[in-house]
Amino acid sequence: MTAILLDGIVQGLQLSLLAVGITLIYGLGGVLNLAHGQFAVVGGVAAAILVSAGVHPLAAAAGGIACAGLLGWLVDRTLLVPAYRYHGEDRLLLGLILTLGLSFVIDGALNYKFPEFSLTFRLPLAMVEVGGIPMRTASLAASAIAIAVFAGLFAFLRFTLLGKTIRSIIENEAGAELCGIDPGRTRTLIVILAAMMAGIAGVTQGLFSSLGTEMGPEFTTLGLLVAVVGGVRSVNGTLAAGVLLGIVNAFASHYVGAYVAYILLLSAAMATILVRPAGLLARFT
Amino acid sequence: MLVRVEGLHAGYGLAAVLHDVSIEAHAGEAIAVIGPNGAGKTTLLKTIMGMLSATRGSVQYDGRSLEGMRPYQVARLGLVYVPAERELFPTMTVLENLELGAFRDVRAAAERLQRVLALFPRLDERRRQLAGTLSGGEQQMLAIGRALMAGPKVLMLDEPSTGLAPKAVAELYRQLARLKSDGLTIVLTEQQVPLALALTDRAYVLEQGAIHLSGRSSDLMGDPSIKKAYLGVM
Repeated sequence: MTAILLDGIVQGLQLSLLAVGITLIYGLGGVLNLAHGQFAVVGGVAAAILVSAGVHPLAAAAGGIACAGLLGWLVDRTLLVPAYRYHGEDRLLLGLILTLGLSFVIDGALNYKFPEFSLTFRLPLAMVEVGGIPMRTASLAASAIAIAVFAGLFAFLRFTLLGKTIRSIIENEAGAELCGIDPGRTRTLIVILAAMMAGIAGVTQGLFSSLGTEMGPEFTTLGLLVAVVGGVRSVNGTLAAGVLLGIVNAFASHYVGAYVAYILLLSAAMATILVRPAGLLARFT
Repeated sequence: MLVRVEGLHAGYGLAAVLHDVSIEAHAGEAIAVIGPNGAGKTTLLKTIMGMLSATRGSVQYDGRSLEGMRPYQVARLGLVYVPAERELFPTMTVLENLELGAFRDVRAAAERLQRVLALFPRLDERRRQLAGTLSGGEQQMLAIGRALMAGPKVLMLDEPSTGLAPKAVAELYRQLARLKSDGLTIVLTEQQVPLALALTDRAYVLEQGAIHLSGRSSDLMGDPSIKKAYLGVM
């Protein structure tokens, strides 16, 4: 029981890390990024290539994350520019189509260049006991990284002026602009940051499990589910939703199998949308 | 001349709202644009700010054309707008809202904050409260306070009295009078004509998208057509 719970939390934190980028890009840019899982895969693959080139795993991980960030910057400055010219629903729809297309391109390119690829960091996988349950240190490390990233993100959004400008744009873009805040520049920054967090999720996935080039669509789907359940404008909601869905997924996979687990996840998402349309922790509905 | 609008035509899509509107404000002057609902007052201010684009005519501010500028660029030049909707950040605190107003000029923020809180002591009392929980009058004060945090040369207000209780309106206009006597240039639109005319030096009457009458506010106060249409006296 407890082992499954812990496993769910570990997975859930990864999901949160993936989904928070979707939340931020949607909240700030009005674009639902359907290539977000692919950002994670690109980050992981880049890290793996660096490792196989003999780079120290830590530096390789940093390189992979930077690579995901670079991809985010490129996508924001090129592909999404036409979408940003529109507002509201038009921007959302155009963004959906553009990022969906991008996800196909990335998936195709990765599968073509690196078929049968899987990333695992071959680190000493010692077991430790947590509350009497044996756990792999890699899982703990992945979770610690996710928690640290979230703590950093919360502190950044809450206490720094730049973080406050980001919140102000999420809350009221027109008002932010009247304060002299340039929404375009802040948006680029947040896309880079979101892509880097996806990159971290991709790399840490390789830390406690394995990462394949074909996992992009699955990551995107799970990330979207978490973002929707958490409320697509709420960062702490996303964190809570990721952990919750991770636990649901772990129990469902253990007792009824992976296929039914997906159905249960979708049902959980649907139930949340029915009961709390603005997300788990929405302050204003 | 600090603000000069010349021959402005503007509107929403195919619907033209403003026809050949010209207004101007000197440094240190307070001017009002008065007129009935739907006359185009908000459209005029939004076009000045670059939130709508003019189809013809020009907006000059401090000797330069504002053509093609985005609202955040206009705001950075010191022409700061307080819309009727206030556009606050409801789930952020009063202090955070004010801080964001000065985000371009962090070094001056502390000193400006002192001045804003001295002008609006009620904001000082509620500094840790979320902006969304304030009363209408307090929200208007916060919107003006946030604009002042930018250190504006011109403060542009769209119907600041809208939706406020009479007491709150009186308090707000006392505070605006203080800002004016400190030398701030003020451009405002208003439906509460007597208040606006009492505050300002000059005023324009905007009707159906065109300036029908303009002059010194004290003269307009005595104008028979104004009295009849806006002051409710025969």
